[in-house]
Amino acid sequence: MTSTGTPQLAGPTSDDERVRQQRRVGFSQRLGRWDVKVSPYLYISPFFILFIVVGLFPLLYTGYVSFHKWDLLTGKGDSVGFENFDWVLHSDMFWKSVRNTFSIFLLSSVPQVIIALVLAAILDANLRAKTFWRMGVLVPYVVAPVAVSLIFGQLFADQSGTINAILAKVGIDPILWHSHVLPSHIAIATMVNFRWTGYNTLIFLAAMQAIPRDLYEAALIDGAKRVRQFFSITIPMLRPTMIFIVVTSTIGGLQIFDEPRMFDQAGRGGADQQYLTVTNLIYQLGWTNRNFGRASAVAWILFLMILVISLINYLLSRRISSDETAGAKKRKKVRA
Amino acid sequence: MRKTTRKFLAVTASVASIALLATACSSDSGDGDATPSKGTSESASANTEPVTLKVATFNEFGFADLYKEYMQLHPNVTIVDDKADTSDNARAAVTNSIASNTVVDDIVAADGDWMPELLASDAFFADLGSDSVKDRWPEWKTKMATTADGKLIGYGTDSGPEAICYRKDLFEKAGLPTDRDEVAKAIGDSWDSYFDLGKKFMDAKTGAAWFDSIGALSQGMVNQQEAPFEDPSTDEITATGDNSVIKPIYDKLTSDEVLAQSAHLGQWSPDWSAAFKKDQFATMLCPPWMTQIIAGNAPDQKNWDIAPVMPGGSSNWGGSYLLVPSGGKNVDAAKALADWLTDPAQAAKIFVKYGNFPSQTAATTDAQVTGKTDAYFGGAPSGKIFSDRFAAVSKQPYRGTHYFPINAALGDAYTRVDVNKTDDSASSWKKFVKAVDDLS
Repeated sequence: MTSTGTPQLAGPTSDDERVRQQRRVGFSQRLGRWDVKVSPYLYISPFFILFIVVGLFPLLYTGYVSFHKWDLLTGKGDSVGFENFDWVLHSDMFWKSVRNTFSIFLLSSVPQVIIALVLAAILDANLRAKTFWRMGVLVPYVVAPVAVSLIFGQLFADQSGTINAILAKVGIDPILWHSHVLPSHIAIATMVNFRWTGYNTLIFLAAMQAIPRDLYEAALIDGAKRVRQFFSITIPMLRPTMIFIVVTSTIGGLQIFDEPRMFDQAGRGGADQQYLTVTNLIYQLGWTNRNFGRASAVAWILFLMILVISLINYLLSRRISSDETAGAKKRKKVRA
Repeated sequence: MRKTTRKFLAVTASVASIALLATACSSDSGDGDATPSKGTSESASANTEPVTLKVATFNEFGFADLYKEYMQLHPNVTIVDDKADTSDNARAAVTNSIASNTVVDDIVAADGDWMPELLASDAFFADLGSDSVKDRWPEWKTKMATTADGKLIGYGTDSGPEAICYRKDLFEKAGLPTDRDEVAKAIGDSWDSYFDLGKKFMDAKTGAAWFDSIGALSQGMVNQQEAPFEDPSTDEITATGDNSVIKPIYDKLTSDEVLAQSAHLGQWSPDWSAAFKKDQFATMLCPPWMTQIIAGNAPDQKNWDIAPVMPGGSSNWGGSYLLVPSGGKNVDAAKALADWLTDPAQAAKIFVKYGNFPSQTAATTDAQVTGKTDAYFGGAPSGKIFSDRFAAVSKQPYRGTHYFPINAALGDAYTRVDVNKTDDSASSWKKFVKAVDDLS
C-alpha cells in the first residue's frame, strides 16, 4: 500500500514545480502588465478616494436624506418622496434666496473682475516698490471673513454707520442698508469684493507677465497707445485666465455664506429675507428649524443649479477657445 | 477599450470598498465608545486616577478661577477649557454632537433657550439628579432641565430676574422722578402703566425714545406667559391659532401708541450698541447680565440706574445650565465637577467677580450677593434688587420643541415693523404665521 503510495505522491510534486515555474513567469509578466496599466490609477487614487469619502458620499447621502422627514436631533423619519422638493419649489423663501444669491453674485463678480483687471494692468507697469504694491492687494484676502464683516458692520450700520454719516454731511438721506433689498446686496457685495479682488488681481497679473513682451514692442512700433495695447493685446491674451476666474467666482458666488450671515446680529438673512442666500437658507432650515430633509432638498437644488451654470460656462468657454483657433486659422490663411 | 473599462471598474470597485471600510470603521468606533465608557467612569470615581475633563462654555461663565481651585482640591483632575467664540456656534456644536452621537466634551454648557431641544434628546445626557442638588434651585429653574418622567439633565448656573434700567438725566429732563424707588412706583406693576409713563415722557419732547426695541419688550412679555407658543400637554403650536396668547401682545406692541415710544433699534445691532452712549432711549428691560452690557457699551455714561420693578410681574430672562453627556469617558468625575461648579458657594463668588447672577436659591440670599453695590449704576444695591426680583419669580413659560424657531420668527416679525419699517403690523403678522406654518 505504501509502496504504491509513494510514487503517486512524488509525481504531482514534480509536476507542481513545473506548473509553478510556468506560472511564476506568467504571473510576473502579468504583474508587469498590471504595473503599466493599473499603477497610474493607483497614483491618482488618493484624490479619488478622498473625493468619494468627502465629496461623493455626502452628496449621495444628502440626496437620500432629501427624500425623508429628517430631524437634526432625532434623525431619520418616514420616507416622503418628493414632498421636500415640492415644499422648497413652492416656498417664497427659497425663490427670494435664489434672487438674492444671483443678485449678490452679479453685483460682486462683475465689478470684481473688471477692477481686478485694471489693477493688474497697473501693477504690471513699471512701478517703484513693485513687490510692496503686489503684496498690498492681497492683504484683504488674508483678513478673516468674520473680521471683514465686523469692520463693514460699522461702516454700513443704519444709524451710526460711517457711510451714512458721510452721506448726511453731503446732504443725502441715509440709506437703510439692512431694510431694503438692493442696498443690502450692494453692502454685502462690497464685502465680497473687498476680500476677493486682490486674489483675482494676482492671478491676472501672473497671466499678464506671461504675455511675450515683443508683442507690445511691435505694437509700440506700429504706433499703438497704452489703451489700444490693453484692449488688443492684453485682454485677448488673457482669455484662458478669464475663463478660469469666471468659473471659480461663479461657484464661489453661488455658495456665498459668511458675509450675509454676519451682516446683522441675528444671521437670518434679514427680517424679510432681504439678503438670505441659498446657503444661508440651508443652514436655517437644517439648524434653526432642524428640518434636514428640506435643507437637503435645497442643497441638491443648489447643486443642480451650479451644475447647469457650470455647463453654460463650459459651453461659452469652448466657444471662446474655438474662436481662438478659428482666429489662428484665419491668420494662417492670411499669412499664406 | 472594453478592457480598460473593465479594469477601470475593478479599480473603482476596490476604491469604493476601501471607502466603505473607512466609513464602516468610523461609525463602528462611534458606537463602540458608548459601552466601555461606563466601565472607566466607575473607576474614575475612585478619585485617584488622573482624569482630564473638557468643559465647553460660551460667552463668560466666570469659571476660570474655579477651575484652578478645583484642580488644587483634586490633584488627579485636569480641566480643559473649551470655549466657543459665539453662543450660536456653541449651540451648533451641541446639536451636532447629539446628531452624530459623538461626545467631544465632558461637560457642556447650554443656554436656557436650547433646553427644549436638548430635553427632546435626553438619552444623550446623563441623569444628574442626586441628593446634593435637591432643592438647590427654585422649581421653575429645574423644571426647564427636567424631562416629563423626572430626569434632571442640567445643573442651573446663572439666572436673569428682570428689572428696569433707566437714564436719570433723561428722566430729569422730562420732569419725571429720578430716585430709583420713586421711578419704580411711577412705572408701576402693569405694562399699561409703563406705557402711560412712556407717553408722559414722550410728551416732554426730550428727543429720546422711551425704550430701545420692541423685540426686547416682547421677550420680557413672552417670559411672563404660561405657554406662549405651544400647548404644554400636546406640544402643538398655538402661537398662530385663534387662542394665541402672543397675538394680543403683538397687537399692543405694534400699535401706533407703543411704536411712537420706540427707538426703533434692532437688539444687539451695532446701532443698538452705539445708542447706549447717546441720548436715544430712557428705559430698557434689565436682567442682571444686561447691566454688564450697558456698562460695556457706554463706559463713560454715568447716568444709568436700576429701578426695582418689572411691569407685568416678576419674570426671568436668560440663564444657563451645565449638562453631562452620558457617553463621555468620565461621567462620574464630570458630574462631580458640574455639581461643584454650580454649588451656591461658587455661584456667589462668580456673581461678586463677574456679575453673573446665581440661580441657586441659597446663593441669592448670600450676604456677599445681597451686599453687592454697583458703582456704575450710581451705587445701586444691585445684589439686593436682583435678589428681590429673583424671589418673586414664580414660573417660566412652557417651551416646547418649536420654541427656538418660533421665537426667531417672532423676532423677525417685530424687526420688520419696528426697525426696517418694511411692513405694517398686519402684513408682518401674516408673514410670521407663514413662517410658523412652515415649521411643520
